[in-house]
Amino acid sequence: MTATLSSPGRPGTTSLDRRAIAGAAAGGLAFGLLMLAPALLSTYFVEIGFKLLLYIVLAEAWNLLAGYGGLVSLGTSSFFGLGAYVTAGLLNQSGMGLPLALGVSALAGMTIALFMSRGLFRLRGLYFTVGTLALAEALRLLVVNVPWFGGASGLFVTVDLPDTPELFRFAAGLLALATAVMTLATGSRFSVLLRAVRDDEDAASQVGVRAFRIKLAAFLAASALVAMAGGLQAAKLGAIEPYGSFGMQWSIDPLAIVIIGGLGMRLGAVIGGAFFVAIGELLADYPELHVAITGVVLILLIRFAPRGLCGLAQALIKRRSAPGATREAGA
Amino acid sequence: MSDIGSRPALLDAAGLGKRYGGIVANDGIDIRLDQGQALGVIGPNGAGKSTLVGLLGGAIAPSEGTIRFEGQDITTWPACERARRGIGRTYQIPRPFLDMTVAENLAVGQFSISPFISAGSAQAERRQILERCGLRDAAEMKAKDLPLLRRKRLELARALALKPKLLLLDEVGAGLIDSEVTELIALIRSLQDGTRAIIIIEHVIRIVKECCADLMVINFGKVLTKGRTADVLASDEVGAVYLGTSHGRAGRPPQAATPAAAPKAPTPTTPLLTLERVSAGYGQARVLHDLSLSAIPGQVVGILGTNGAGKTTLAHVISRALPVTAGKIRFDGDDITDWPAHAVAARGIAHCMEGRRIFASLSVEENLLVAARDVGAADRKRRLERVYGLFPILAERRNAGGTSMSGGQQQALAIGRALMAKPRLVIFDEISLGLAPVMMDRLYEALAALKREGLTMLVVEQDVERALDIADIAHIINKGRITLSGPAATVRNDERLRHLYFGTEE
Repeated sequence: MTATLSSPGRPGTTSLDRRAIAGAAAGGLAFGLLMLAPALLSTYFVEIGFKLLLYIVLAEAWNLLAGYGGLVSLGTSSFFGLGAYVTAGLLNQSGMGLPLALGVSALAGMTIALFMSRGLFRLRGLYFTVGTLALAEALRLLVVNVPWFGGASGLFVTVDLPDTPELFRFAAGLLALATAVMTLATGSRFSVLLRAVRDDEDAASQVGVRAFRIKLAAFLAASALVAMAGGLQAAKLGAIEPYGSFGMQWSIDPLAIVIIGGLGMRLGAVIGGAFFVAIGELLADYPELHVAITGVVLILLIRFAPRGLCGLAQALIKRRSAPGATREAGA
Repeated sequence: MSDIGSRPALLDAAGLGKRYGGIVANDGIDIRLDQGQALGVIGPNGAGKSTLVGLLGGAIAPSEGTIRFEGQDITTWPACERARRGIGRTYQIPRPFLDMTVAENLAVGQFSISPFISAGSAQAERRQILERCGLRDAAEMKAKDLPLLRRKRLELARALALKPKLLLLDEVGAGLIDSEVTELIALIRSLQDGTRAIIIIEHVIRIVKECCADLMVINFGKVLTKGRTADVLASDEVGAVYLGTSHGRAGRPPQAATPAAAPKAPTPTTPLLTLERVSAGYGQARVLHDLSLSAIPGQVVGILGTNGAGKTTLAHVISRALPVTAGKIRFDGDDITDWPAHAVAARGIAHCMEGRRIFASLSVEENLLVAARDVGAADRKRRLERVYGLFPILAERRNAGGTSMSGGQQQALAIGRALMAKPRLVIFDEISLGLAPVMMDRLYEALAALKREGLTMLVVEQDVERALDIADIAHIINKGRITLSGPAATVRNDERLRHLYFGTEE
C-alpha cells in the first residue's frame, strides 16, 4: 500500500531515512531537469509538458484524497475554477504578481474547503462524492449567474502574463510542492492515520484517531494544490469563463489518470498522467476515438488491474522475484 | 481496590440505556469498576451486550444515563476522545484496517495518541504486543490476508496498542479451541496487573469463569442478575435463559455415543460426494494436502480440527469457491472439479459459510428468496414455509433487515438460506461461532431434524462435542491432512482427538 517509496509497516526506521535522502536527491535532480527543460525542448513539447505537469498535480491531489483518504471527490473542478477566478481577479485588480496571486488562490481554496468540511464530512462514501459534485455545480452556477465575474462569458486577464516556458517552470515548482506534500502525507505517521480513516473510520475513532481533523488536513492540502493549478491554467489561457474553468473534465480527468496509474499508489499520478496525456496527444486528431480508447483502457484496467499500471508492475516484479518460494508456506 | 469513596471509580456508568425507536437495546444498566477489576458480561444473543460495548466505547450515543470515567463525565464524548482518555475496545466481528499491515494497524493507535513517540520504542511496543497476541509472524502481512480468527487477535492487539485503562473485550474467545482458550486466558490474566479494568463479553464460559471475579447477566437489554461469578453461574435463572443444556457439561468426560449418533445400518450406497487426493491453497501457501473423503447419501460427516488446520478451506474447495491444485471432486457421479461455484450450487451443494455472510441490504425473506430465484412460486412458498417451520423466529422477523437481527438469528437465517436451494448436500461451516450455548442448542436441534429428513451434511465445527453428537462419521484434520477418521463414537474416545484439542499433540 505504502507503495514503492516507503517501507511498509515500519515508519521511521533508519533504512527509511537513507531512502528519504536518496528520494530527496532524485527529486531534486528531477526538479532541476524540469527547470532546464523549457530551454531545451521545442515549443510543442513545452506546451504538452505544461499540460502534463498540471494534470499530475491535479491527480496527486485527487490521489491524496481518494487513494489515501478514501474521500472520492468529484469536486476538483470547484477548487480548480475557484483558483482560476481568484488568480485572474487578483492579476487584473490588485497588480500583484503571479506567485503571490497563486498563493492567495491556495488560501482561498483552503478557506472554501474549511467552510465546506463541516457539511461534507458528515457524508460518507458515495454521499460524499455526490456532495462534492453538488459543490462544483453550485459554484459554477453562482459564477454564471452573478454579474461580478463576467457572468457566463467570463473575463480576460488584462495584464501581461509570463510566456509558456516561464509558466512551465511555475508548473514544475507547483509539482515540486505537490510532491513534497504527498511525501509528507503518505510517508509519515500522518499517512498511517489517514489510511486508517480510509479503511474504517469508526474503527479508527475507536483507537483514538480524530477522523475529522485527519480528513480536513488532507482536504485542505488537496484543495490548495488544485486551486493553484487552476490559477496557473488561467494564466496560461489569459482568460476565465465558467464552463471552462469549472468544467467537469477537471474533476473527471484526474480520476481517470489516478485509476490508470494506480489508486493509492505513490507513483500512480505520474505514470497515469504520462499515459493519459500521451494518448490524448497521439489521438488529438480523433477526439471521439480518444474518449472511446480512454474508456476502454479504464474498463480493462478496472477489470484486470484494479491497482492500475503501478499495481500491475508491482505484481509482475513480485512474481519475478519470488518464484522459488512456492509450497513452503503451507507445509 | 476496596477504598471506594476516597477516589472516584475508574468507570461509573449509571442508568445507561439505548433505544432505537420502540426497540430497547439497553435499559437501566449500572456498572461500577475500579482499577484492577474484571467484569464478565454474558447473555443470550441479542441481549444487548454489543450495544453496551458501543455505549461505553462511544460508538453509540446513549439515550439515557451517564458515564463517568476517572470522575469525569464522558457521556457526550465521541469515541476518539474516549479512546485517547484510555478506553480501548474490540469489535465482535473484526474490523481491522484491511489495506494496512498488521504492524500499521497497531501503529494507528500509537501515533494518534502520542504522535511524537520515538520510532524505536513504538516498534518495541508493537513487537511486544504482537508477541503477546501470537501475531509476531504476521507483522508485515496485510490485515485482509488474515483469516477470521487471527483478525480477532488483531482486534485485541490493536486495542492494547492504546495502552487502555479500561479494556472492553467483545467476544474475543469465539471460535477458539480449548488450548487456544487457555492461551487467551493466560493473556487476559497477564493484563490484570492492577493498572487497568477489563470488561469481558463472552460466550465461552471458561474465560469469564477464570478471568472475572464478577459477572453480570444481561437479558432483553436489562441486567438479569449480577454478583460473584461462581454464584451467578450456579443460579437456576441463568441456566434457564442462557446456559441451556450445556449447563454443567464443562467437566463431562468423553462419553459413549448418544443414540442420535449411533451408526446407521451399513447400507453400501454409492457416495454422493467424493474427494480424491485433493490439494488446494491460497497463492503460494498450500493448505490441503492429498485429502480424500466421501459422504454417502443421508450421512452426516463431521470435520474437526484446530484453527488453521484447513477446515474452512476444505469447505470452500467442495463448494468450488476455491480451485484445487490437484485431485478430483465428484458429486453424484459427475466430476465437478472444474465446475464454477454457481453450477455446483445448481447441482445441489449448498454452503453455509463461516461468518454468516448475510446480505445487509436485503430483508430476512429476501435473503432467503435469493437462494431460490429460479423456482416456481408454489415451490418457493413451500420451501419458505419449511424454513420458517424450522426457525419460527425468521417468520416473525421476515421483513426485518438481514443484519439487524442478533447473531443467533442471523445464523439461523444463514442456515435457512442454504436450505432454500433445496440442496442434496449442505456444508455447515462453524455455525456455532459466537453463539450463546442456548442458541447453539437450538441450531443443532434444527440440524438433527434435517438429519432425520435424510439430508446429507458436512459439519465443520470447532465444538467437538456438538459435532460428534450429530455426526455419523468424523474426520480430524491437522495441518491440511486427515489424521484420524472413523465413526463418531470411535473418534470421540480416541486419545489422539484429545491430544489435538488440548494442545499436547506434537
